[in-house]
Amino acid sequence: MKVETHKVARLHAIVWGIFSLGGMIAAFLLPVMIYMTAIAYPFSLWPFNGTKDPSFLITGHRLGALFIFVTIAGSLYHGIFRFQSALTEVGLLKYRRALEAIGYFIIFVGIIVLAYYLGTWYLNGTIS
Amino acid sequence: MGDTSRYPEHRRKLSPRWWTANRHYAMYMVREWTSLFVAVYSLIFIYGLSLWATGSRANFLNFLKNPAIVGFSLVALVFIMYHAVTWFYLLGAISPIKIGRSKTKPWQALVLNLILLVVVSYLAIWLLVLR
Repeated sequence: MKVETHKVARLHAIVWGIFSLGGMIAAFLLPVMIYMTAIAYPFSLWPFNGTKDPSFLITGHRLGALFIFVTIAGSLYHGIFRFQSALTEVGLLKYRRALEAIGYFIIFVGIIVLAYYLGTWYLNGTIS
Repeated sequence: MGDTSRYPEHRRKLSPRWWTANRHYAMYMVREWTSLFVAVYSLIFIYGLSLWATGSRANFLNFLKNPAIVGFSLVALVFIMYHAVTWFYLLGAISPIKIGRSKTKPWQALVLNLILLVVVSYLAIWLLVLR
Protein backbone atom coordinates (compact mmCIF):
# COMPACT_ATOMS: atom_id res chain seq x y z
CA MET A 1 0.00 0.00 0.00
CA LYS A 2 2.85 2.33 0.88
CA VAL A 3 4.67 1.43 -2.34
CA GLU A 4 1.53 2.20 -4.41
CA THR A 5 1.12 5.53 -2.65
CA HIS A 6 4.71 6.36 -3.57
CA LYS A 7 4.09 5.31 -7.19
CA VAL A 8 1.04 7.55 -7.45
CA ALA A 9 2.93 10.42 -5.79
CA ARG A 10 5.88 9.95 -8.15
CA LEU A 11 3.62 9.92 -11.22
CA HIS A 12 1.89 13.05 -9.96
CA ALA A 13 5.26 14.72 -9.45
CA ILE A 14 6.41 13.81 -12.98
CA VAL A 15 3.16 14.96 -14.63
CA TRP A 16 3.06 18.25 -12.72
CA GLY A 17 6.81 18.72 -13.22
CA ILE A 18 6.41 18.51 -17.01
CA PHE A 19 3.38 20.81 -16.71
CA SER A 20 5.48 23.43 -14.87
CA LEU A 21 8.30 23.11 -17.38
CA GLY A 22 5.74 23.60 -20.17
CA GLY A 23 4.48 26.71 -18.36
CA MET A 24 7.99 28.16 -18.29
CA ILE A 25 8.47 27.34 -21.98
CA ALA A 26 5.10 28.89 -22.92
CA ALA A 27 5.89 32.00 -20.88
CA PHE A 28 9.47 32.55 -22.10
CA LEU A 29 9.61 31.14 -25.64
CA LEU A 30 6.09 31.19 -27.10
CA PRO A 31 5.73 35.03 -27.20
CA VAL A 32 8.87 35.47 -29.33
CA MET A 33 7.82 32.62 -31.58
CA ILE A 34 4.39 34.17 -32.17
CA TYR A 35 6.05 37.54 -32.77
CA MET A 36 8.32 36.03 -35.44
CA THR A 37 5.71 33.88 -37.21
CA ALA A 38 2.52 35.97 -36.85
CA ILE A 39 3.73 39.58 -36.67
CA ALA A 40 7.26 40.02 -38.04
CA TYR A 41 6.84 37.76 -41.08
CA PRO A 42 3.32 38.75 -42.32
CA PHE A 43 4.05 42.47 -41.75
CA SER A 44 7.68 42.34 -42.97
CA LEU A 45 9.09 43.58 -39.68
CA TRP A 46 12.48 42.93 -38.03
CA PRO A 47 14.00 40.31 -38.22
CA PHE A 48 12.03 39.18 -41.30
CA ASN A 49 12.29 42.46 -43.24
CA GLY A 50 15.02 41.04 -45.45
CA THR A 51 15.38 37.83 -47.40
CA LYS A 52 14.78 35.38 -44.55
CA ASP A 53 11.40 33.90 -43.61
CA PRO A 54 10.18 31.69 -40.72
CA SER A 55 11.12 28.48 -42.56
CA PHE A 56 14.72 29.52 -41.80
CA LEU A 57 13.91 28.85 -38.11
CA ILE A 58 13.64 25.17 -39.03
CA THR A 59 16.08 24.81 -41.91
CA GLY A 60 18.72 27.32 -40.74
CA HIS A 61 20.35 25.04 -38.20
CA ARG A 62 19.59 22.31 -35.67
CA LEU A 63 19.20 24.78 -32.82
CA GLY A 64 16.21 26.34 -34.63
CA ALA A 65 14.55 22.95 -35.10
CA LEU A 66 15.19 22.20 -31.42
CA PHE A 67 13.69 25.58 -30.49
CA ILE A 68 10.55 24.78 -32.52
CA PHE A 69 10.24 21.32 -30.97
CA VAL A 70 10.75 22.45 -27.37
CA THR A 71 8.46 25.49 -27.72
CA ILE A 72 5.59 23.74 -29.50
CA ALA A 73 5.74 20.43 -27.57
CA GLY A 74 6.11 22.15 -24.18
CA SER A 75 3.34 24.66 -24.92
CA LEU A 76 1.01 21.96 -26.25
CA TYR A 77 1.47 19.84 -23.12
CA HIS A 78 0.99 22.80 -20.80
CA GLY A 79 -1.97 24.25 -22.71
CA ILE A 80 -3.94 21.01 -23.05
CA PHE A 81 -3.19 19.85 -19.50
CA ARG A 82 -4.26 23.16 -18.01
CA PHE A 83 -7.34 23.53 -20.21
CA GLN A 84 -8.71 20.07 -19.45
CA SER A 85 -8.07 20.78 -15.77
CA ALA A 86 -9.97 24.10 -16.08
CA LEU A 87 -12.92 22.30 -17.70
CA THR A 88 -13.28 20.10 -14.62
CA GLU A 89 -13.68 23.27 -12.55
CA VAL A 90 -16.66 24.53 -14.52
CA GLY A 91 -19.01 21.61 -14.04
CA LEU A 92 -17.32 18.86 -16.06
CA LEU A 93 -15.67 17.07 -13.14
CA LYS A 94 -17.69 13.91 -13.77
CA TYR A 95 -16.09 13.68 -17.24
CA ARG A 96 -12.57 14.06 -15.85
CA ARG A 97 -11.37 10.64 -17.04
CA ALA A 98 -12.66 11.24 -20.57
CA LEU A 99 -11.19 14.74 -20.66
CA GLU A 100 -7.81 13.42 -19.48
CA ALA A 101 -7.90 10.67 -22.12
CA ILE A 102 -8.74 13.12 -24.92
CA GLY A 103 -6.16 15.61 -23.64
CA TYR A 104 -3.32 13.09 -23.43
CA PHE A 105 -4.29 11.70 -26.85
CA ILE A 106 -4.02 15.18 -28.44
CA ILE A 107 -0.70 15.83 -26.65
CA PHE A 108 0.70 12.44 -27.69
CA VAL A 109 -0.37 12.69 -31.35
CA GLY A 110 0.73 16.34 -31.62
CA ILE A 111 4.21 15.67 -30.23
CA ILE A 112 4.70 12.51 -32.31
CA VAL A 113 3.66 14.31 -35.53
CA LEU A 114 5.93 17.27 -34.72
CA ALA A 115 8.88 14.96 -33.97
CA TYR A 116 8.18 12.99 -37.16
CA TYR A 117 8.28 16.08 -39.41
CA LEU A 118 11.39 17.54 -37.77
CA GLY A 119 13.10 14.12 -37.67
CA THR A 120 12.34 13.50 -41.34
CA TRP A 121 13.70 16.92 -42.33
CA TYR A 122 16.80 16.31 -40.25
CA LEU A 123 17.44 12.93 -41.85
CA ASN A 124 16.85 14.10 -45.44
CA GLY A 125 19.10 17.13 -45.00
CA THR A 126 16.41 19.84 -45.06
CA ILE A 127 17.66 20.88 -41.61
CA SER A 128 21.32 21.75 -42.04
CA MET B 1 -4.80 9.10 -12.39
CA GLY B 2 -4.35 7.25 -9.06
CA ASP B 3 -6.30 4.45 -7.44
CA THR B 4 -9.37 6.50 -6.49
CA SER B 5 -11.15 3.58 -4.79
CA ARG B 6 -8.34 3.17 -2.25
CA TYR B 7 -7.28 6.79 -2.13
CA PRO B 8 -10.52 8.73 -2.68
CA GLU B 9 -10.30 12.41 -3.53
CA HIS B 10 -12.51 14.70 -1.51
CA ARG B 11 -13.46 17.63 -3.70
CA ARG B 12 -15.74 20.38 -2.51
CA LYS B 13 -18.84 20.53 -4.71
CA LEU B 14 -19.02 23.82 -6.54
CA SER B 15 -21.53 25.29 -8.94
CA PRO B 16 -20.27 25.59 -12.55
CA ARG B 17 -20.42 29.37 -12.15
CA TRP B 18 -18.56 29.60 -8.82
CA TRP B 19 -15.84 31.67 -10.51
CA THR B 20 -18.26 34.54 -11.18
CA ALA B 21 -18.65 35.13 -7.42
CA ASN B 22 -15.86 37.70 -7.25
CA ARG B 23 -13.20 39.39 -9.36
CA HIS B 24 -10.36 37.30 -7.92
CA TYR B 25 -12.02 34.03 -8.96
CA ALA B 26 -12.92 35.45 -12.38
CA MET B 27 -9.30 36.49 -13.04
CA TYR B 28 -8.15 33.04 -11.96
CA MET B 29 -10.51 31.44 -14.47
CA VAL B 30 -9.44 33.84 -17.25
CA ARG B 31 -5.84 32.83 -16.52
CA GLU B 32 -6.75 29.15 -16.77
CA TRP B 33 -8.60 29.70 -20.05
CA THR B 34 -5.61 31.45 -21.64
CA SER B 35 -4.19 27.92 -21.86
CA LEU B 36 -6.68 27.26 -24.66
CA PHE B 37 -4.83 29.80 -26.83
CA VAL B 38 -1.48 28.25 -25.92
CA ALA B 39 -2.74 24.81 -27.01
CA VAL B 40 -4.57 25.96 -30.16
CA TYR B 41 -1.60 28.03 -31.40
CA SER B 42 0.64 24.95 -30.96
CA LEU B 43 -1.79 22.75 -32.91
CA ILE B 44 -2.15 25.37 -35.66
CA PHE B 45 1.64 25.55 -36.02
CA ILE B 46 1.87 21.75 -36.29
CA TYR B 47 -0.84 21.90 -38.97
CA GLY B 48 1.22 24.56 -40.80
CA LEU B 49 4.23 22.23 -40.72
CA SER B 50 2.06 19.43 -42.14
CA LEU B 51 1.26 21.68 -45.14
CA TRP B 52 5.00 22.01 -45.72
CA ALA B 53 5.68 18.29 -45.20
CA THR B 54 2.90 17.14 -47.52
CA GLY B 55 3.13 20.01 -50.02
CA SER B 56 5.73 22.72 -50.24
CA ARG B 57 7.48 25.35 -48.14
CA ALA B 58 5.39 28.01 -49.93
CA ASN B 59 2.21 26.41 -48.55
CA PHE B 60 3.58 26.80 -45.02
CA LEU B 61 4.56 30.43 -45.61
CA ASN B 62 1.21 31.29 -47.24
CA PHE B 63 -0.53 29.68 -44.28
CA LEU B 64 1.40 31.94 -41.88
CA LYS B 65 0.24 34.96 -43.90
CA ASN B 66 -3.42 33.90 -43.91
CA PRO B 67 -5.38 36.80 -42.31
CA ALA B 68 -7.41 34.41 -40.11
CA ILE B 69 -4.21 32.80 -38.77
CA VAL B 70 -2.56 36.20 -38.25
CA GLY B 71 -5.70 37.48 -36.48
CA PHE B 72 -5.94 34.45 -34.22
CA SER B 73 -2.22 34.61 -33.46
CA LEU B 74 -2.45 38.28 -32.44
CA VAL B 75 -5.31 37.51 -30.04
CA ALA B 76 -3.37 34.46 -28.82
CA LEU B 77 -0.30 36.64 -28.19
CA VAL B 78 -2.34 38.95 -25.93
CA PHE B 79 -3.64 36.00 -23.91
CA ILE B 80 -0.23 34.29 -23.85
CA MET B 81 1.33 37.50 -22.51
CA TYR B 82 -1.38 37.50 -19.83
CA HIS B 83 -0.45 33.88 -19.13
CA ALA B 84 3.25 34.85 -18.93
CA VAL B 85 2.65 37.82 -16.60
CA THR B 86 0.44 35.81 -14.21
CA TRP B 87 2.86 32.87 -14.37
CA PHE B 88 5.81 35.10 -13.43
CA TYR B 89 3.81 36.66 -10.58
CA LEU B 90 2.81 33.19 -9.38
CA LEU B 91 6.46 32.08 -9.37
CA GLY B 92 7.31 34.96 -7.05
CA ALA B 93 4.36 34.14 -4.81
CA ILE B 94 5.03 30.41 -4.41
CA SER B 95 8.84 30.45 -4.28
CA PRO B 96 10.14 33.73 -2.88
CA ILE B 97 13.91 34.04 -2.57
CA LYS B 98 15.29 34.82 0.87
CA ILE B 99 17.83 37.64 0.87
CA GLY B 100 19.19 38.29 4.35
CA ARG B 101 16.20 38.74 6.63
CA SER B 102 13.69 39.63 3.93
CA LYS B 103 12.01 37.67 1.16
CA THR B 104 11.44 38.82 -2.40
CA LYS B 105 7.94 40.05 -3.28
CA PRO B 106 5.87 38.59 -6.16
CA TRP B 107 6.03 41.87 -8.12
CA GLN B 108 9.84 41.77 -7.95
CA ALA B 109 9.79 38.31 -9.53
CA LEU B 110 7.39 39.65 -12.16
CA VAL B 111 9.68 42.57 -13.10
CA LEU B 112 12.80 40.37 -13.11
CA ASN B 113 11.14 37.72 -15.28
CA LEU B 114 9.76 40.31 -17.71
CA ILE B 115 13.29 41.67 -18.17
CA LEU B 116 14.45 38.07 -18.64
CA LEU B 117 11.67 37.54 -21.21
CA VAL B 118 12.96 40.48 -23.29
CA VAL B 119 16.55 39.19 -23.05
CA VAL B 120 15.54 35.60 -23.94
CA SER B 121 13.41 36.84 -26.86
CA TYR B 122 16.25 38.94 -28.28
CA LEU B 123 18.72 36.08 -27.80
CA ALA B 124 16.37 33.67 -29.59
CA ILE B 125 16.03 36.02 -32.57
CA TRP B 126 19.77 36.68 -32.66
CA LEU B 127 20.71 33.00 -32.40
CA LEU B 128 18.08 31.62 -34.76
CA VAL B 129 17.70 34.33 -37.41
CA LEU B 130 20.37 37.03 -37.32
CA ARG B 131 23.48 34.95 -36.66
